[in-house]
Amino acid sequence: MLSKDLLEKRLQIAGTVLILGLLTEGFCLLGRGPIAFLLFVGLAGLLLSLGILIFLLALVRAGHGKSHSTE
Amino acid sequence: MGHPAILFGFLGFSIFLIAVFVFRPGVTKSQGGKIVAFFVLFALPLLCLGMGFSAEMDRSKSTQFCLSCHIMESYGKSLRVDDTFHLAAAHFQNHRVPADEACYTCHTNYAMFGGVKAKMGGLRHIYVYYLGHAPKPEDIKLYEPFNNRECLHCHQGARSFEEGAVHIADPSLLPAIKSNKVSCLSSGCHQTIHDVATLGEQKFWQGVQNAQ
Repeated sequence: MLSKDLLEKRLQIAGTVLILGLLTEGFCLLGRGPIAFLLFVGLAGLLLSLGILIFLLALVRAGHGKSHSTE
Repeated sequence: MGHPAILFGFLGFSIFLIAVFVFRPGVTKSQGGKIVAFFVLFALPLLCLGMGFSAEMDRSKSTQFCLSCHIMESYGKSLRVDDTFHLAAAHFQNHRVPADEACYTCHTNYAMFGGVKAKMGGLRHIYVYYLGHAPKPEDIKLYEPFNNRECLHCHQGARSFEEGAVHIADPSLLPAIKSNKVSCLSSGCHQTIHDVATLGEQKFWQGVQNAQ
């Protein structure tokens, strides 16, 4: 299922983590009490931040890889 | 923060778009695909996080949220005491504070960081409740004395306050109240707030059935 291309594989991983984060956010928004709030901030926030970080790192490393290959 | 259906619809839409990039990563080969990927994998999740956070913060101000913890059960009950001298009950039942944000309205200090401090206090309460040793409901105390500012925010300038017989009996009383030198909640004044220790002796108002 994961692509052979390194950049695409990283984008897929980032996307998967983001989807998990958004699903967690959705479930937390259905909840009522402080536990749902904590799960939202702790788990959903963490997954979404991680997904965005993976995406940005993938971009940076792809750009770094290209600059090496042109030298 | 808008209608929940809009937020859920937005979440669903975001999940769908991200799933396109998960199952068809080759879309990013083109320049346009790269630009869309940036929005879908960076801007959109950030937006969802912000909207969700705003919705959660709004919900955490609700009376229902505060009373969802078992330790607050008696305080919730105290809002329905059928006695006009019970301050919290009188304010709640007559909608002198928004009924759906009753707790937050009174228990948040005003000024710029009042809301932030209330939220940080709430996190501490959660920690104590689940991981610490929660006190008995009747032993719960405010962190600092209730500032008259929280009362005067609404009552200052109101006729019943400025011209109340007891308030004007002593000319020095009103200035002392307004400068927080004499508490509104002083003994002999508006001293009965929640009074959870005596709930067993109280009558309760059941509320309006089918209010429209």
